Amino acid sequence: MPERIPERRQSLASRLLKPQFVMVYATVGIFILIYIYGAIRFGSIGFTTLRTFVNMFKDNAYYGISAVGMTMVLITGGIDLSVASVACLTGMIVAYGTSVLGYHPAVCMLAALVVGVGLGLLQGAAIYYLDVPPFITTLAGNFLARGVCSLISRESISVSHPMIDALAGWKWYFKKYVDGEWVKIKPIAFINVNLLVFLLMIVIGTFILHRTKFGRNIYAIGGNEQSAKLMGLPVGRTKILVYGFNGFCSVLAGLAYLLEVKSGWNLALNGGELEAISCAVIGGTLLTGGVGYMIGTLFGVLLKSVIPALITFNGTLLSWWGKIATGGLLALFIVIQRIVVTMSERKKDSKKKQPQGEAG
Amino acid sequence: MKKKNVSLSGIMQSKITWAVVAELLILLVCFLIRPDFFSIKYQPATGMLYGSLIDILNRSAEITIISMGMTLVIALGGTDLSVGSLVALSGALALKFLRWDVLIYNTPGDYTVKPFILVILVPLAVCTLMGLFNGFMISRIGMQPIIATLILMVCGRGIAQIVTNGKQFTTLYSPFRVIGQGSFLFLPMPVIISIIVVAAVSIFVRKTAFGTMVESVGINPSASRLSGIDSRRIIMIVFALTAFLSAIAGLITASRVMSNDSNNFGINFEMDAILAVVIGGTNMAGGKFSLAGTVIGSIIIRTIVTFVYYFGIVSEATMAFKALIIIVVIVLQSEPVRKRMSKMGKKRMKGGAVHA
Repeated sequence: MPERIPERRQSLASRLLKPQFVMVYATVGIFILIYIYGAIRFGSIGFTTLRTFVNMFKDNAYYGISAVGMTMVLITGGIDLSVASVACLTGMIVAYGTSVLGYHPAVCMLAALVVGVGLGLLQGAAIYYLDVPPFITTLAGNFLARGVCSLISRESISVSHPMIDALAGWKWYFKKYVDGEWVKIKPIAFINVNLLVFLLMIVIGTFILHRTKFGRNIYAIGGNEQSAKLMGLPVGRTKILVYGFNGFCSVLAGLAYLLEVKSGWNLALNGGELEAISCAVIGGTLLTGGVGYMIGTLFGVLLKSVIPALITFNGTLLSWWGKIATGGLLALFIVIQRIVVTMSERKKDSKKKQPQGEAG
Repeated sequence: MKKKNVSLSGIMQSKITWAVVAELLILLVCFLIRPDFFSIKYQPATGMLYGSLIDILNRSAEITIISMGMTLVIALGGTDLSVGSLVALSGALALKFLRWDVLIYNTPGDYTVKPFILVILVPLAVCTLMGLFNGFMISRIGMQPIIATLILMVCGRGIAQIVTNGKQFTTLYSPFRVIGQGSFLFLPMPVIISIIVVAAVSIFVRKTAFGTMVESVGINPSASRLSGIDSRRIIMIVFALTAFLSAIAGLITASRVMSNDSNNFGINFEMDAILAVVIGGTNMAGGKFSLAGTVIGSIIIRTIVTFVYYFGIVSEATMAFKALIIIVVIVLQSEPVRKRMSKMGKKRMKGGAVHA
């Protein structure tokens, strides 16, 4: 259509002010506001240190890794409730395989990867071919994985293997150059494997979503599955692969959690799927599908970790206020989303109506 | 003869039939493994009947009660994730009013109970308000039900902990014990309560136009709005009702252990309730619903759990069993499978006609 061409050459400002981005800006803005509040209130007792900041990434790294896959699933308009159970199952497989059966952790990790990705692909296939709501399918996956965890063992199994210890113990300290040698900065701040994997997954997720055909298909399906089908896009393959990728992320999250606690427990990460979903939603991913950005999810994770940090620094509040604050944030962001969606729909309507009015 | 044929196929296609058959099959397996599974004894000391079957009914009471509301929610095409948290909140509020003294003095002892009616009414009222909040978010602001109720699911337990200041209270107050451990007409009180709730909801839904309106909104919200149904008010009522029923379940749960535990009360109740509704044959996409099917669904879930306990299988393995049920149900309920099955049925009928 010839009239569409001028729209492509939008100015930078109007491109940046697209309604889809507003949610991401809101997330970033609220994070910065809360951080500044923390800096003013608790700056004197170390809120502004690099250590606190890095810990915000580190504390929820496993939820963050899972949220990367979840964001993609949500963009297609689906939902995955099985992530926490699959992560838990990963931990159980590695712990049981290493400590009880005596296999090398790498083998167990590979096995867990096969199980997790396989379950994800299966769920995707059920959702596409059987046309079952994702909610119910992944609920079954959730119960199944959790049940298998309990069948493996009801007690927590600790893992001690040189490879796991090495991975868990690997640290890269932030250093500064003082008097001709590198010295660890104080208070000590370091990057660990979980944090690296989290950031890497965010980068990979961004790349997939914005630089590959697969990513564009994901957005197209979320925007309108029917039109995506009519356009000849591989809807089935994309959907199944998205759930498979989410399974992969769940396995990684499970490994990250394993490195953190160094044990497998059949009730670990109970309710974690909702944490991952809320990270993505707070980061501006629309649950109706079609809209969502990895950078938003990153800030969603940060926003979810800054609140517990504030509560810890306050010291007198019950940690339960964190849950209430998360709930409040969720409510706030969903209301913002609603407003943005309604506004952009109105804009579209008025754009559609205008040419018709002129023609008439 | 034609009429007979239709009614037979109607029975065959009715999802409740399948649910009943499934339940009977599970019970049959139980009976084959342990013939004493069905024995029911009368215990004069408590005036109650004892036995596995009674236990199944007794323990399924909470899910039955909640899933009555959940059936209506799912018929509207939504899901309510907040019921588990509301169960915890209801228990916390009840115990807060039962153990008022703990909050005033720190010495337990001859404690003061607030008027007992408050212990019952406050949890019910607060949870109903929470349900209205859910309904408001969905009908006025236009959120998806999953998300709107996710908010309360996340922070409901937080609120429950704040209510009791993060503490666990216990009580010995006997009127409160009656709710969860008492008996009436030889049956445990939770069974009686769940029968009353099922009857009340069924009458409210089926003897008034409300049920039809719910189905209408679930099938096509805009069409029902155009035909003069106030879908917003219906959504509000349904979510408030579900929250109210969760509060009743919370009182029962708290009364069973005479304590409050905001971390563990109502864990996975939302999942179980949804599962009960789906097993009962109500489609997740909304529309027609079956309260009777839901009751059977709830009983099936509990039968499996009892089966697992009774035969000494690891208790957490119930999850895997539940997953298997969902898988069977979703495969049977899915559109392609049902189409193929109805095609096969038609073919068979055609063939029959030719032979005749």
